[in-house]
Amino acid sequence: MKLNRIGAGALLAVGLLLAACGTPTPAPAAPAATAKPAAKQVKVAVVMPSASNDGAFSQSMYDALKAVQASMGGEAAMKIAVSEGMVQVPNAVAAIRDYAQQGYDLVIAHGTQYGNSLTEIAKDFPNTAFAWGTATDTFAAAGVKNVFAYNPRAQEGGYVLGVLAAKMSKSGVIGVCGPVEAGDAKTYVDGFKKGVMDTKKDAKINVTYTGSFSDVSLMAAAAETHTKAGADILTGSSQSVVGAIGVAKDKKAIWFGTQANQTSLAPDTVGASQVYDWTGVIKEMLDLSAKGTKGGKAFELSLQSGGLKIVYNDKVSIPADAKAAADAAIKGIIDGTIKPLP
Amino acid sequence: MQRAKVLFERSLSALTPFLAVLLALAVGAIMLFALKVDPITAYGALIEGAFGSPFALAQVLVKATPLLLVGLGICIAFRGGVINIGGEGQIIVGALATAAFTLALPQAPAIVLLVGGMLCGMLAGGIWGGIAGALKARFGVNEILTTIMMNAIAAQLANFLLRGPMIDPIEVKNGTMLAQSARLPELSWLPKLVPQTLLHAGAIVAVIMAVVVYILLWRTVLGYRIRAVGLNAEAARFAGIRVPVYQALALLLSGVMAGLAGSVEVLGVSHRMMDGVSGGYGFSGIVAALFGKLHPLGAIPASALFGSLLVGADKMQRAVQVPSALIDALNGLVVLFVVSSDILVRRRAQRRKAAERKS
Repeated sequence: MKLNRIGAGALLAVGLLLAACGTPTPAPAAPAATAKPAAKQVKVAVVMPSASNDGAFSQSMYDALKAVQASMGGEAAMKIAVSEGMVQVPNAVAAIRDYAQQGYDLVIAHGTQYGNSLTEIAKDFPNTAFAWGTATDTFAAAGVKNVFAYNPRAQEGGYVLGVLAAKMSKSGVIGVCGPVEAGDAKTYVDGFKKGVMDTKKDAKINVTYTGSFSDVSLMAAAAETHTKAGADILTGSSQSVVGAIGVAKDKKAIWFGTQANQTSLAPDTVGASQVYDWTGVIKEMLDLSAKGTKGGKAFELSLQSGGLKIVYNDKVSIPADAKAAADAAIKGIIDGTIKPLP
Repeated sequence: MQRAKVLFERSLSALTPFLAVLLALAVGAIMLFALKVDPITAYGALIEGAFGSPFALAQVLVKATPLLLVGLGICIAFRGGVINIGGEGQIIVGALATAAFTLALPQAPAIVLLVGGMLCGMLAGGIWGGIAGALKARFGVNEILTTIMMNAIAAQLANFLLRGPMIDPIEVKNGTMLAQSARLPELSWLPKLVPQTLLHAGAIVAVIMAVVVYILLWRTVLGYRIRAVGLNAEAARFAGIRVPVYQALALLLSGVMAGLAGSVEVLGVSHRMMDGVSGGYGFSGIVAALFGKLHPLGAIPASALFGSLLVGADKMQRAVQVPSALIDALNGLVVLFVVSSDILVRRRAQRRKAAERKS
C-alpha cells in the first residue's frame, strides 16, 4: 500500500509538472470568428508554430492578415482562421488538411518545417491554394502546382540595422542572439554583421546561436553573456527573443528587432525593427488564386518591393548621422550598389 | 448487500476517470467564458473534431497509437512498483535508432526494414529504461530522477545527431538546416490503413502489444514476479524473489514499449526523424495508462479516449479561435483531475479495507 501511495504521489507530481509545463507563452484572446458568411467571402487559414502575438515570426503574418482583412472590408469580406502553437508537425498537418477539407481558399503553412508534409497534402487538394514560408521552393519540380512560396530577404534589413548599431554603439561591442543558424535567422545575422563591419571596421561583434527557435530562457542567457562582455547594442531573431529584449531593458542596452515591430515589448529599449510586411504578398496570392492560379510562384520580401520596412521607435533617440547612414544603406541596397550579404 | 456494495465500488472506480474529465472540462468552461467563447459551441467542436468524420477518427487513432504503447510501458513499470517518467527520452532514442537503421539499409526488403527498425527502437528504448533500472538495482538511485534526467540526455543526443551526423543532406545543400534526418526509404514505411489519412499499421502493432503485455504480466512467471514485487516488495523478498532485478526489468520493459512508440512514429507518421518527435507522448502516455486503470487491455480504450481529447482540442482551437495556451491549459487540467481522482479512489479503497479490518 505504501508503494502505491508513493507511486500515486509521484504521478500527481508529474501531473502538476505537466499542467505547469503545458502553458507556454500566454496569448490574448483571438477575436471569435463570428463572421456571417457573405456571398463572396474569402476564407484564409494560417497554421503557425508560435502564438499570434509572439512579437516575431507568427505575429508578422497575423498582423498582415488582419491588415488585408481590414482593407478588404472586414470579416464579411474575408474570414481568417488561425491555428497557433503548432510546434508538432503532425498536428499542423492535421490542421492544414482540415482547412483544405473545409474549403478555405488559401491555406498558409507558416513554417519551414511544414514543407515536406505540404507536398503530399497539396496533391490531395488540387483546387485549394496553399502557401508555404519561409521558403523559395513551390515544389513545381515535384509536379505540385498549387503551392506559393514566400521568403524575406532578411539580410537587407539586417544590413541597415547593422549600420545603425555601428553608428550608435559607444563601447564598440555588439551582441547578436541567433536562434538556429538557418533560414531567415541566418541571413538576418549575416546581413547585420556586414552592415556593422562596413560601417565600423574595429567594432567587435559577438554572435551566439542557441540552437532553438523557442527557448526564451536560453536566449535571455545569451543576451546576458553579451552585455557582460560589454555589448551596449543587442539584436536577435525568432520568437524566443522576448527573453533577450528583457535583458537589454534591464541592462539599458539598445535592441534592434526583426520580423515584427518589437517596440511594444520594451518601448524604451527597442531602437528600430525590420518588419516583414506580408500584406502585398497575401493580396497577390489571393488575386492569383481568384483568377485560377493556385500556386507556382515564389514571392520575396525586399526593401525595394516595400515588403521589408525599417520602423523606428520615437522614444529612443537615434542620432541624425546614424539615421542618414541607414537611409543611405537602404538606398544603396535598392539600387544594387550595396550587397547586404558577404 | 455486500455484493451490491462491491459492485458499486467497482463501477465508481471505473467511472472516476470519466467524471474527472467532465470536471476538468467544467473548469475549462469557466476559462472559455472568460474568453467570451460559448462553451457549448467550443465543446461541440471538440467532439466533432474527434469523432465528426472518418478523417477525424483516423487522426484520433494516430494519436492513440503512441499513447497506448507508452501507456503499456507505464503499466509494466507501475505493476513492478517503479515509476517511469522517461517515456519522452525513450521515444526519442527509439526513433533515432529506427531512423538510423533504415537509413543505413536503404536497399533492404520491407520486412527487414520494418521488423529490424522496430527491434532497434525497442532495443534503444530498453537500454534507456534499463540504465535507470540498473542504477536503481545497483545503487538504489531514485528512478523518477534518473528517468527524467535521461530525457534531457536523449533530447540533447537528438539535437546533436540531427544537426550533425544525421542531418538530411538536402537541408545542408539548401542551407535551411532544419534539424531532421533524411526521408526514410519508402519500403520502411508502415502501410496506411485508410488512404488520404495518417492512420497506419502501427495502430495494429500497438493493440497486439497490449495483448502481449497482458499475457506477460498475468500468464508468465516473469510477469507474476514483477507484479509480486510491485504489490509488496517485502513479501516478494521473503518469497525468494530478487526484488531489485525485477524492478530493473520492469523499467527496461517499460523503456522497450516507449522505444517502440518512437519507432512507430517515424515509420508510420513522420517518415523521418525530426525535432519534437516525442510530442509529449511520454507524459500523456502516463495519463492514458491511469485512464485505463493501469491494465494493459484497459489502456486500449483509454488511449483512444485521451487521443480524441487531444485531436478534438486542436479542432476546438480552429473552430472557435481560442489561443493555443487555452488548449494546453485544458489538457493540463485533464491530467490534473485524472491523476487526482486516481489518488482519491486509492484513498477510498484504503479506508474501506481499514474499516473492514476493524469490523
